[in-house]
Amino acid sequence: MDLRTGLVGGNPGKGRTTDLVIAGGGPAALSASLYAARYSIDHVVLESYQPGGQAALTAWIENYPGMGRISGGDLAARMKEQAERWGGSFETATVTSTGLRDDLIEVKADSAVYLARFLIIATGAAPAKLGVPGEDRFYGRGVSYCATCDAPFFKGAHVMVVGGGDSAVKEGLHLSEFADRLTLVHRRDRFRAEPYLAEKLLSCDNCSVRWNTTVSAIEGEDGVEGVLLETPEGEERIDVDGVFIYVGRRPATEAFSGLVELNPDGTVKTRGIVGTSRSNVFAAGDVTDNELRQVVTAAADGARAASAVFNLMQ
Amino acid sequence: MALLSESDANEVRKIFGSLERDVEIRAYTQRLECPTCQDTEMILRELDGLSDRIRLTILNFQTDREAAGKDGVERVPAIVVSDGTHSRVKFYGTPSGYEFSSLLTVIVDAGGSGKTLSEETLEFLDGLDKDLSLQVFVTPACPHCPSSAVLASRMALHSDRITSEVIEANEFQELSRRFRVQGVPRTVVNGQYYAEGALPEYMMVEALSRGLEEGPEGEKDLMDYIRTS
Repeated sequence: MDLRTGLVGGNPGKGRTTDLVIAGGGPAALSASLYAARYSIDHVVLESYQPGGQAALTAWIENYPGMGRISGGDLAARMKEQAERWGGSFETATVTSTGLRDDLIEVKADSAVYLARFLIIATGAAPAKLGVPGEDRFYGRGVSYCATCDAPFFKGAHVMVVGGGDSAVKEGLHLSEFADRLTLVHRRDRFRAEPYLAEKLLSCDNCSVRWNTTVSAIEGEDGVEGVLLETPEGEERIDVDGVFIYVGRRPATEAFSGLVELNPDGTVKTRGIVGTSRSNVFAAGDVTDNELRQVVTAAADGARAASAVFNLMQ
Repeated sequence: MALLSESDANEVRKIFGSLERDVEIRAYTQRLECPTCQDTEMILRELDGLSDRIRLTILNFQTDREAAGKDGVERVPAIVVSDGTHSRVKFYGTPSGYEFSSLLTVIVDAGGSGKTLSEETLEFLDGLDKDLSLQVFVTPACPHCPSSAVLASRMALHSDRITSEVIEANEFQELSRRFRVQGVPRTVVNGQYYAEGALPEYMMVEALSRGLEEGPEGEKDLMDYIRTS
């Protein structure tokens, strides 16, 4: 049986002056903390209220080398345990703004203020919305962004997944184990997802794909009853009980917009993988503009960022 | 074989080291027609063995009817957590996955003297002039859920105007259907109002204070008041 130890909300943020603040709680931040701890860099990880970041929302991760098949929550929990064992320190705080104070970076969080010589931005990203009528209204009543959390409510149902990347296909496969029927809607004529996953979905008995199709509205009375689709053949309404949305991510960078240069899509503009427009600030994981967004690349970014801080401190 | 690994047991022992007073846990189970009762009992017995501060009583829902009535327990498995003076804080269902960390946190809160809610929240709770029942629907694999579960439990630990129930939605499907749970966490207030998702503490307080004041009859999304204002 899976039993997650540790306290909810962890260690409330108290604020302090340190060499390094790592903002975020997903794989990039956890890996940065592990490396920083082993470099003996005095640091604090400011975790938001959801441990493990997006990885924790992934039912199964099968491409983190050496781990076989592992739930995203488990993988993140192991990373944290390892970082803590080496001396990584964690506080629960959501960063609300950042600025400069003398030679230091001031990191303001909801509960406390931190001053640091260096900052690693690893705040990750949140699911993007589709932006169609009905999406907000039916959130929690058939519209979901977390298959891991909500799949059990759709046993025997007809469920729609929107998107064509790794997350859409992977979580679609997870949902197909609960739902009676799964329809995946994708705006293009092929998947962006890795071929292994794509083939698995295409050969799944109760799955079907609508290519070149977009969702224009989510409809219902008290809950989701159907969606309006724009298809190559025109508008069409189909009945579904749930809509799971995986159409990309919004990087969580609002708190850093005055500190480092951002791209128009909100990601941190990087120089040489983890560098930013400011020499004592680094970025790691899904918050960056690096192309591949995987647990393994987030972890690698975290290691690189901690190493860059270590080199500058020498 | 123990459900908790040696290293997890050590971590929990360390966490329970912060308990400053005894925590009373009353669990209600039954032998038949409760597939998860045995696991729940096992988990609690292991927790009981990790601190002298935990006082566990396992009651039979079928034969200890009077106690169940007094505690307001309506289904099994049920876990009532308190400092021994009330039965306002309950968990229904196996405390597994992320819900295990929710239970640990609420035990620590019940046995600690630490302030766990903000000044604004405490002010709101102390000024309550009506009773609130908070039912938080969760699933064990939901990483967002513990924050809602713990927030409701903390409010109930603090105020005798509030009762909290953390309900494992898969184990109580009929109840989930009745409250039309299709996503978690979902907090149902007084069986009528609801808040979807893991709201931060200040937002939940705002939703509760304004939503309930202006709330009309019928099921109502508490967040509508925030969205439309």
